[in-house]
Amino acid sequence: MHGIRRVRQTQEERQASKRKELAKIEEFNALTQRILARKKGNDWSDEAFQLTTKLLQINPEFYTLWNYRRNILLKGKFPNSSPEQVHELLEDELSMTMTALKVRPKVYWIWNHRMWCLEHIPKGPASDGEPGADGWKQVVWNKELFVVEKMLDADSRNFQAWNYRRFVLASMPTPRSESSELAYTSKKIEANFSNFSAWHQRSKTLTSLWAQGKLDESKSREAEFELLRNAMYTDPNDQSVWMYHRWLVGTGGGKDVLEREISAIQELLDEQPDSKWCMESIVHYKRLLLNNYAKDVDTQHLTRDCKDLLERLETLDPMRRLRYRELAGEIGPSTS
Amino acid sequence: MASSGISTSSVSATENSDKLLADLHVSYIQKLGQSKDDLAYHLTSHLRLNAIYWGFTALSMLNKPDALDREEMIEFVMSCWDEETGAFGAHPQHDGHLLSTLSAIQILIMQDALDRLDVDRIVKFILSLQQPSGVFAGDAFGETDTRFLYCAVNALSLLGKLDLLDREKVVEYLQRCRNYDGGFGSVAGAESHAAQGFLIMTFSSIVFTCVAALAILDRLDVVDVDTLAWWLAERQLPNGGLNGRPEKLEDVCYSFWVLSAMSILNKVQWLDVEKLSTFILSAQDPEGGGIADRPGDMVDVFHTHFGIAGLSILGYPGLVDLDPVYCMPASIIEKMGLKKGYKNLERKAF
Repeated sequence: MHGIRRVRQTQEERQASKRKELAKIEEFNALTQRILARKKGNDWSDEAFQLTTKLLQINPEFYTLWNYRRNILLKGKFPNSSPEQVHELLEDELSMTMTALKVRPKVYWIWNHRMWCLEHIPKGPASDGEPGADGWKQVVWNKELFVVEKMLDADSRNFQAWNYRRFVLASMPTPRSESSELAYTSKKIEANFSNFSAWHQRSKTLTSLWAQGKLDESKSREAEFELLRNAMYTDPNDQSVWMYHRWLVGTGGGKDVLEREISAIQELLDEQPDSKWCMESIVHYKRLLLNNYAKDVDTQHLTRDCKDLLERLETLDPMRRLRYRELAGEIGPSTS
Repeated sequence: MASSGISTSSVSATENSDKLLADLHVSYIQKLGQSKDDLAYHLTSHLRLNAIYWGFTALSMLNKPDALDREEMIEFVMSCWDEETGAFGAHPQHDGHLLSTLSAIQILIMQDALDRLDVDRIVKFILSLQQPSGVFAGDAFGETDTRFLYCAVNALSLLGKLDLLDREKVVEYLQRCRNYDGGFGSVAGAESHAAQGFLIMTFSSIVFTCVAALAILDRLDVVDVDTLAWWLAERQLPNGGLNGRPEKLEDVCYSFWVLSAMSILNKVQWLDVEKLSTFILSAQDPEGGGIADRPGDMVDVFHTHFGIAGLSILGYPGLVDLDPVYCMPASIIEKMGLKKGYKNLERKAF
């Protein structure tokens, strides 16, 4: 149970609510037994199908019933149906799960069933090999992308919706271009920089676009640094931005990029002297300089800077003081 | 949970205890199987076997493994066997599923009753769920993700059949799930998430599942320990609790997901362990026993188990050692020769 407040009841209140529940328990258990008996008898009838609808409305987490329902479709209904009818049956399933999701948006098994339905949409209306053979599929997947975008409009940090969106994008018969996906993440990030999911999606999309040569990598990386600069100044306390920055620096760029980014972050730190993330990031990038370019940098100076910052971090963020202490120990003694 | 004479009111956090209410938790767990007049009991039958594993493991950590009747438990587990799939369902007459099958194996091992298992059929079921990409599905109809991969690796390891698994393929898949923050996603391409609360309320921690699976496969070398442990350490909020990803609320179950991953990476000390311990204790129900997701919320066996598991990793006095990789008592895993190189905090004296 998540986020349900604990309430104390008197003996009387408790007994009253038990009495009220008793009828529901009996109904639920009776219905469960009726269905499980039919399932045991390999009953693929429409009547059994309707019973699963009824019970799944009460308890959409009853995974055995979703399995039974799919078996009724596969063994009872599909064999006697034309592709048009299969298409219609699955459209009905999609509306049924949509209704269920409106009540219980976080139930995994409803999403699971929905994915199964989408994947079983038959070829049509044109026959296989002809133009329009993917017509039905195209329509449902487009609709699905619309549904998931609606969910992300309602809650742009809905982790499940982002995951589901990736599933939809990967499954569409005519894939959407990755450039349009990049634009989508821009839109979400500009609306709210503090969106870990959107930054993440962006990192995956860019990696793919660079690898395929569809974007000029060095120009695109500079544009990302620019975007990050805005984000850092807007909210220097947002962890997602700093993680993305670390990823971007890590994907390439040598000593010059490190030094440029260190001084940009230093500027921000001068304005916001208590910014933990600025300090954390400067330490990380200075350590990269120390580890990768030891011959070309002033190691003593860098070591001292890192140690000073880590000491300040210990005071500023005492919960994680032992981590800072460990990092300082790894850098080695600052000989003067 | 009710006591007479107290009128209906929301419980304030100030009533919470700063000590583990061990006896109350034992009686809370004992009563769970007797709440058949609760609608919620029936509506959660699809999680029954998992719930027994959570309750029994919690009791074992409280050093009271005999608080539930052994024979009754074993018979119930066996009654969940689904002959058609060759696996255990969560409840008698429910379909076999990987999640409940792992729970059944764990319970039977903890009860020293592994001889009741048809190991060959279960292994066949588990191996049938591996996909060409290396990941696992939960059952024949199910979608794939790393939680199922962890369940499969864990179960095969417990059954001593890990050599039948294509390990390379599994590790390759996990490597593809790695993210820029050092964490892991639930499917290749998904963002890091310390747990996936909206999915099934069971083995939902994605980072944990990936790290623990790699630990079992002796392949922790593919983990970027510093970055991942940094990301995990930043899950701790000012009130001491841990969240599942940036900018989200704390929840007791993350105490286990994050802590066990930290223990496997040997970085528990990167957290403020005192504050975390206080946070878990503050989520106890001081009247009826049990632990909730947050102080003042309704308790359940899932959070009770993960709260006590977290406290055990933190070295809370009087608790039995937990193996964070398998989430079972450490002595049992050690005896089976399966112990990996995790590092819990030393057990404190009372």
